[in-house]
Amino acid sequence: MVDPPDSDVIEARSLHHSHSGSPALIAVSLRTRRGEVLAVHGPRGSGKTTLLRCLSGQTVADEGEVWFDGDPVHTLSPLRRERLRRERFGWIGPESSLVPELTVWENAALPLLLNGAPRRHAKAAAMEWLERLDIDGCARRRPYGLTRAERQRTAAARALVGEPAVLFADEPTAALHRADRALLLRTLLAAAGSQRTTVVLATHDTEVAALANRTLALVDGRLTGSPDGTDAEGMAACSLSV
Amino acid sequence: MLALRLARGAHPLVLLRRLLVAAASGGVGFLLLCALAYALTHPGDRTAALLRLSWCAIPLAATVHFAVAVAHTDPSTRPRTGLSAVGLGPGRLAALAAASTALSGALGSVLALLFFLHLRGDLTGLPFDGAARELLAAEAPLPLAATLTLLALVPLTATVAAALALRGRDAARERAPVRPPGGLPWGCALTTAGLAVGTFTARAEKAAPLPLPKEFGAHPAGVLAGWALTAVGLAFAGPALTFFCGRLLQILRPGAVRLLAGRILMEESHRIGRPLGVVCAVASAVITAWALYDTGPRPFGPLTGLGAALVVACTTATLLTAVAQARHDRATATEELRRLGASVGTLRLAALLRAAVLLLVFAPLTWAVATLAALPLSR
Repeated sequence: MVDPPDSDVIEARSLHHSHSGSPALIAVSLRTRRGEVLAVHGPRGSGKTTLLRCLSGQTVADEGEVWFDGDPVHTLSPLRRERLRRERFGWIGPESSLVPELTVWENAALPLLLNGAPRRHAKAAAMEWLERLDIDGCARRRPYGLTRAERQRTAAARALVGEPAVLFADEPTAALHRADRALLLRTLLAAAGSQRTTVVLATHDTEVAALANRTLALVDGRLTGSPDGTDAEGMAACSLSV
Repeated sequence: MLALRLARGAHPLVLLRRLLVAAASGGVGFLLLCALAYALTHPGDRTAALLRLSWCAIPLAATVHFAVAVAHTDPSTRPRTGLSAVGLGPGRLAALAAASTALSGALGSVLALLFFLHLRGDLTGLPFDGAARELLAAEAPLPLAATLTLLALVPLTATVAAALALRGRDAARERAPVRPPGGLPWGCALTTAGLAVGTFTARAEKAAPLPLPKEFGAHPAGVLAGWALTAVGLAFAGPALTFFCGRLLQILRPGAVRLLAGRILMEESHRIGRPLGVVCAVASAVITAWALYDTGPRPFGPLTGLGAALVVACTTATLLTAVAQARHDRATATEELRRLGASVGTLRLAALLRAAVLLLVFAPLTWAVATLAALPLSR
């Protein structure tokens, strides 16, 4: 990576957004650095998903700006934002909505296939990630009949296979039991660390949030943490060398 | 009452579908009443009256098929966890769907009766009243029981069929992946048998092998049975052929578009395959009829035209409804694909590919069946 280590990957400036009248985000500003794991911690309904959707360019906030790698995201056309999501971002939701018609490896390889990668290369990359996440055994099965943990790991493989610059994880472990939760998070964050991928992790769980380099608290659509990323604990407190 | 109240707040497209069911039901009701009128004016000609009545079976079947498809798609009667929690489970919702089907059917029947009476000249005050006085037996009084029985036929059949088709649906349960549909051998056998029956009947009856309602005194039973067998055979073979089309799309290292298009087609084969087979059968019948009566004097009366239009419209609408439902069921997967950054263009291209491959496989099949069916009849 040629960027200086403290360059901002994602920057949001005073985001305001509302869902048909009810405010979801109020003056939210934040910055993330390359390779950083940023947790957005808050209860259900505090606006975490909306924030992640705005940051990843799925939604354009009513007011405010989103910048990625020094370029504005909020002014891009829907097509360019799609391309950005396809090529630079990864996403894991609370319930892995895998494409039911495709097998596990095809689901994992889908971002590469959508980018026009050759099938053989896409398959090799997907299989590598499935192996790392320990589900290469069901690579040829459909999502139907897989456990939640297996599906969520497939979704993780799908999010990581394109080596994204930013990984958005929206309550990725909310539907999992404790053992599966720890395993998934650890693998996810270790993998992201090895690729220097920035992770924006939304969670309501303090234990999960504790795994991050830095935590921002979101309450009723307002951020209550330090928005500028000058947190003293910073990267040093990273306990993710597993 | 709940059916009415839900209908009031429904989406215009849903209402349009129900209106189409009402229109189809009205059309069939009108055809049945016309058959009754013919029987009233020709009391001695039992065979011809029966022939006219039996021809109504095809539009009736197409209308019931369509009504069931619409009841299946109706969003207001789709099982929902929220409604299930307040006690409106799948059972009650099936009853609700049946009730709204009955409502559409009854509306159509009432309109058919009004239109019929209007054309007979019993109701006056509008243009064209009594325009078909002789044709519709204006002199003879209309037998009440027969009229009611005929008019109740469509709503009753459609309601029972919808209730039977919808019972036991479950809310938001994940569907198992589709196994390859196994109807192809049966479909081939039935289609071939149908063509064979048609050929034998045509050879046996030299004069008028396929008498349309206007030609009296002949038995279309053989040809009709052959056609029905062919239609059932194509309906059986439809899912398997659609599945095969999906396979076809994925040969030779598919990229994202072909992979998605093929898999989705395979997954939807059980849903759109059957209506597609039926449309195929109807199209081949239309082509056959066209080929037969293209040169000579056409025995198409307005009622035959109405019946044919009903069958074509209903089967096409059933197919479109099935496609719409399949699309609705894929909404979450589509949303996820969009989240991954799949462009609208990619998804549209996949849909276009699906349509193209279906056309490529089913169009020659339709043409072949039509040609084979027309061969013995045109001699």
